[in-house]
Amino acid sequence: MDLVAEALAKAICDGDIVNFQTLLAAFSPARESSTEVLESEKYAYMLPDDTQRSDKRFRAALDAVREEKTWAHIQGELQAKRPAQFPSGLLMMLADNAVRGQKYSVAAQAYELLRIRHKMLDEFLKQADEALAAGDIEKGVGGYLIAIGLSYDYAAFPEPLAAVSNYQTKALMLHGVYPARPEDCVALQEEETHVNTALEFLLPDEEISSRLRQYPLNVRLEFLKELVTQLDPDWEAFRTRYAEACRLLQSFGERLRRVAQPHTETLEEEIEEQQGPDPRDIIVTLLGREIEDGQWWQYMKELAYEHPAAVLFIARQLVGDTEILIPRFLADSAVPKVLGLVVESVEGASAAGSGA
Amino acid sequence: MAEEAGYLNYFEILELDDQANPGEVRKTYKRLMKHLVREIARVEITEERRSHYLREMAKLNAAVYILRDKGKREQYWNRRSELIALEEAWRTADQSDRDKCDALRREFDGKVKSFLSKYVEETMLEAGQDKEVVEASHWNPAHARYATRLLRHYRHRLYHAILERLPYHEVTSPSIDWEERAATVKQMMAAGRG
Repeated sequence: MDLVAEALAKAICDGDIVNFQTLLAAFSPARESSTEVLESEKYAYMLPDDTQRSDKRFRAALDAVREEKTWAHIQGELQAKRPAQFPSGLLMMLADNAVRGQKYSVAAQAYELLRIRHKMLDEFLKQADEALAAGDIEKGVGGYLIAIGLSYDYAAFPEPLAAVSNYQTKALMLHGVYPARPEDCVALQEEETHVNTALEFLLPDEEISSRLRQYPLNVRLEFLKELVTQLDPDWEAFRTRYAEACRLLQSFGERLRRVAQPHTETLEEEIEEQQGPDPRDIIVTLLGREIEDGQWWQYMKELAYEHPAAVLFIARQLVGDTEILIPRFLADSAVPKVLGLVVESVEGASAAGSGA
Repeated sequence: MAEEAGYLNYFEILELDDQANPGEVRKTYKRLMKHLVREIARVEITEERRSHYLREMAKLNAAVYILRDKGKREQYWNRRSELIALEEAWRTADQSDRDKCDALRREFDGKVKSFLSKYVEETMLEAGQDKEVVEASHWNPAHARYATRLLRHYRHRLYHAILERLPYHEVTSPSIDWEERAATVKQMMAAGRG
């Protein structure tokens, strides 16, 4: 039974609800009545290795499993011919460890079983708001991200996979309508609207993201900056490519404006006439690689997956009969500035390649 | 005393007692719907308000659809009463008798899910196709499309309201110390910064 205790402690320590449930299920190898053997190679993945055995969190979990009352309950449940009733103390410990390991879908399921998911979510938001009020943006963003992770109710609407942010689809919705006027373009919204759109897009829970509207613009901007940093560790690489795309756009600017006018030539004819490089290089530069026969929306999806915030600073642009994506921003807006997208030498990107 | 929160009461929605006749039901429905439509016309519609008004409209529609018809009304009220009694039986049962409690829980769980599906989602959407309802509420297929998701969430909220007061069965009853929880949250948020 020591092995069972260790396996349970490992599941709790790892925040692994699947192994925890398996060990207590009706078909569990931990049951004496089972034909399965926990000691076998097959179940080695459920047992801790020597490094984990010396881990402080593992020891704490093992002590909790071996606590007299809890252990008696586990033994009783493993002998009964029905699915076991989980010890709530152990489940709580597992949920907390899952949060620590950023396994928010597991934590949400465990808190839901304990019927405290909503209250825990509120507690994270409350403390995140306190942190923001105290000027600790990093902690505030961390709290909001945990709250978002706990907001999906797996018990109510079970999904085969964990609910994750679907930026690829949301990005296409954001750019669903071709901007007939520059002001229709997401990237050219005025500061207040743009920062709210950005937060709603990046935090996939309307109720949670709308809480941020209570803060002044400068706090929301700082929040956005920190959020992008935490969500996208490669943002710096995108910034470099964005600046390069802006430079390309500037050099193509004049030609793009001409091509955007009603004309009879095809894009290929226009390019041939100009004998210059292909304007589609801009879209390739933004993504950092070429998609064979890729359309603008394919680039958009890939871009949204790799750098979610990137889609807030680009626009669709018709060039002949082909659409591409180009960098767009308002040079005097604080939103692109705070994210490091405004490069002095290419500020003209806001004016180049009008969506009209 | 049996708890009734979570078991949708259409009489309460129409502000009537359970003896109200079909004429009173229709009259009250029209009055409340007119009031609601006027309110919708008066205020600026935000996403949150749209959801709220649509849900209120769907509730009124379902209320008249069920309560004006004797057969539907009796079936609804009997199922609701049976559920409330079943919940009471489970809650007051000796919790140490696991087999008995488990049987009661299974029966209750199946019935409560079926009741909420029928009377929160299905009936509310079905009512939107009724001629009298459409005439009074101007309910249309676009409303129905929008309401589908909304009602599913509303059904789940009601289910949660019921679940909150039921005995634990999948886990042992936890003793939650919210001061300890707050301290744990604080510690987890601090640790999250690496």
